[in-house]
Amino acid sequence: MTPSHRDTLFLEEAVITLHDAFEGDQYVLHLKAPECARRARPGSFVHLQCDPLLPMRRPISIMRAQREQGIIELLYKVVGHGTSLLTQRKAGERLSLIGPIGHPFTLHAERPRPLLIGGGVGMPPMIFLADHLRGQKGVQPLVLLGSEAPFPFQARPSQILLPTLPAEAIACMPLLDDWDIPSRLVSQQGYPGCYEGYVTDLARLWLDALDGDTLAGVEIFACGPHPMLEAVARLAADFNLPCQVSLEEFMACGVGGCAGCAVEVLTDAGPAMKRVCVDGPVFDANRVFF
Amino acid sequence: MTESTPSPLAVEFCGLRFDTPIVLLSGCVGFGEEYTRIKGFSNRDAGAVCLKGTTLDPRLGNPPHRVCETPAGMLNAIGLQNPGVDTVVGEILPQLDFGETRFIANVSGSTLEEYHEVTRRFDDSPIDAIEINISCPNVKEGGVAFGNDPAMSARVVEACRRATEKPLITKLSPNQTDIAANARGCIEAGSDAFSVINTLMGMAIDIESRSPLIGNNQGGLSGPAIKPVALLKVHQVYQVCRDHGIPIIGQGGITTAEDALEFLIAGASAVGVGTALFYDPLICRKINTGILDYLERHGLATVEQVTGSLRLNAPSKPRCGCY
Ligand SMILES: Cc1cc2nc3c(=O)[nH]c(=O)nc-3n(C[C@H](O)[C@H](O)[C@H](O)COP(=O)(O)OP(=O)(O)OC[C@H]3O[C@@H](n4cnc5c(N)ncnc54)[C@H](O)[C@@H]3O)c2cc1C
Ligand SMILES: Cc1cc2nc3c(=O)[nH]c(=O)nc-3n(C[C@H](O)[C@H](O)[C@H](O)COP(=O)(O)O)c2cc1C
Ligand code: FES
Repeated sequence: MTPSHRDTLFLEEAVITLHDAFEGDQYVLHLKAPECARRARPGSFVHLQCDPLLPMRRPISIMRAQREQGIIELLYKVVGHGTSLLTQRKAGERLSLIGPIGHPFTLHAERPRPLLIGGGVGMPPMIFLADHLRGQKGVQPLVLLGSEAPFPFQARPSQILLPTLPAEAIACMPLLDDWDIPSRLVSQQGYPGCYEGYVTDLARLWLDALDGDTLAGVEIFACGPHPMLEAVARLAADFNLPCQVSLEEFMACGVGGCAGCAVEVLTDAGPAMKRVCVDGPVFDANRVFF
Repeated sequence: MTESTPSPLAVEFCGLRFDTPIVLLSGCVGFGEEYTRIKGFSNRDAGAVCLKGTTLDPRLGNPPHRVCETPAGMLNAIGLQNPGVDTVVGEILPQLDFGETRFIANVSGSTLEEYHEVTRRFDDSPIDAIEINISCPNVKEGGVAFGNDPAMSARVVEACRRATEKPLITKLSPNQTDIAANARGCIEAGSDAFSVINTLMGMAIDIESRSPLIGNNQGGLSGPAIKPVALLKVHQVYQVCRDHGIPIIGQGGITTAEDALEFLIAGASAVGVGTALFYDPLICRKINTGILDYLERHGLATVEQVTGSLRLNAPSKPRCGCY
């Protein structure tokens, strides 16, 4: 490590400005954390104190950063003790966070057709990435979001038509439509307008219909449960496409100190253990699934 | 702080000056630079920083999950992931700023020869002191297997002693019957100081899958949950060390200045902070300030006056036959 890493993360006493509950035990949390908001990039996460009673922090991805207002937006699902205590915190209260942590997604100019795949609470980094791509000249992203819990937003039929996809798969995330970014929703729960199956099935249909030149411009970005990421990695390999995935692992420090979050990653020198917090959370899929 | 400033927080430790009694603990701050990512964090707030456990050859460590939260603490089974002593000495130490704090190596091995050799290579480096980890619960050979056997512990210390003149700190395991007897043997073998304690062995189980949460099945328990155990062990080891003038780095669950003071009173000359950093990376400053307040309140000129100032309750006759 070089001294250039110094002072790149911030410990902030963030004020909760909004805390909304959605179906399926999902919550959207807005935090005033100006230093973090200013520096966050798609793929960054924060290490959050859910409650003073807990000895450990919890890692949560950043879904959006409103730089001017100094606010970051998070989406989380209750899975255990920490996230369940977090639901009790009210607007106006303070939460300590460390951020923005992690090696973000990397975009490549020669790949102007980013395919963003988010599953469950893996959606937030994809929304942040879409926000970042919005309005970029010549870049035509597609966002596919899968969830087995009700989507934490009011889905609606998309205004952006995608002729190569099944017509019944028309539900989109309205925010993305507003940004002129096509999106489609996928679930096995039979939600109206959603494609029934796996996100990777719909992604495959889309990729299959692309001509060779367009296909050569695609790069896949994904975040979600491990089995989904594995399927995405296989899909990318089938189409010979580069693919970046954002991983999750249990964390202690969140800043590279404990090696508690290490996963096996293939490096040029062979298999190595890399820290999800600071070496990741974004890795090349073919270095994680090999 | 410079050598000439008399500071109430400074302690003399095996001939080294620690600007504050706080030592950042091995395995919690990587190889010394990781926490400096956080704005406001400075190694200067600690008297010394212990580097991650280092072995002769690189080690990949254990499979995930390596950490998990438990009541008032956490389990870890990292498995001594490290790049090997040559990389640490050749590539990492040259990047560290020895003007900011003292750096202590943490040596591990599976054989006596390995302990000796790793120590020898650190001896030939700018490192300030060497901590012998004979108490790592997360590796199959060496580690705690050595640390729980007093005769073996002494042989490890002796092997390291032959390799260096630098201060040698033996890190004792709480997972043993008579920690004081072990300490006595280590002093005879040449240990200059002790770290008391390393983690306690523990387990956590996912009741749905019925598998241990930790990939290695068991791990080392740290954090506030182990503080009372650690405090007693420091008290016990201090009884052995006091007459030899051998200092102790007390550790295990320290999260506040009050915790740190308890360890100092029990006999520690310095106090280790590990798990608490994960929750509050800027905790050192708070602990330093709290200790300063205490010194002022008690009219003490230096923190060294607190060490071993324990006033035990007078032994009383049992009032009834059983408890
Ligand atoms: C980089 C990163 C980004 C994440 N982003 C999000 C997000 O945007 N939204 C969201 O809902 N969740 C996200 N997660 C997962 C989230 O951290 C866990 O759901 C949360 O830690 C569970 O804590 P708990 O106490 O409620 O659960 P428990 O199961 O009670 O937790 C017990 C312990 O296991 C750890 N743990 C359990 N599951 C996970 C997991 N999946 N990942 C990491 N640690 C875990 C906890 O931190 C805790 O130490 C992310 C994880 C990582 C690593
Ligand atoms: C994640 C983690 C990794 C550790 N790695 C080492 C190690 O490599 N060598 C060692 O001697 N102790 C190691 N320890 C033990 C700590 O240095 C310390 O003795 C112990 O955690 C008790 O202090 P605490 O409760 O303040 O954390 C580790 C502890 C943790 C939590
Ligand atoms: S959580 Fe400590 S190194 Fe990643």
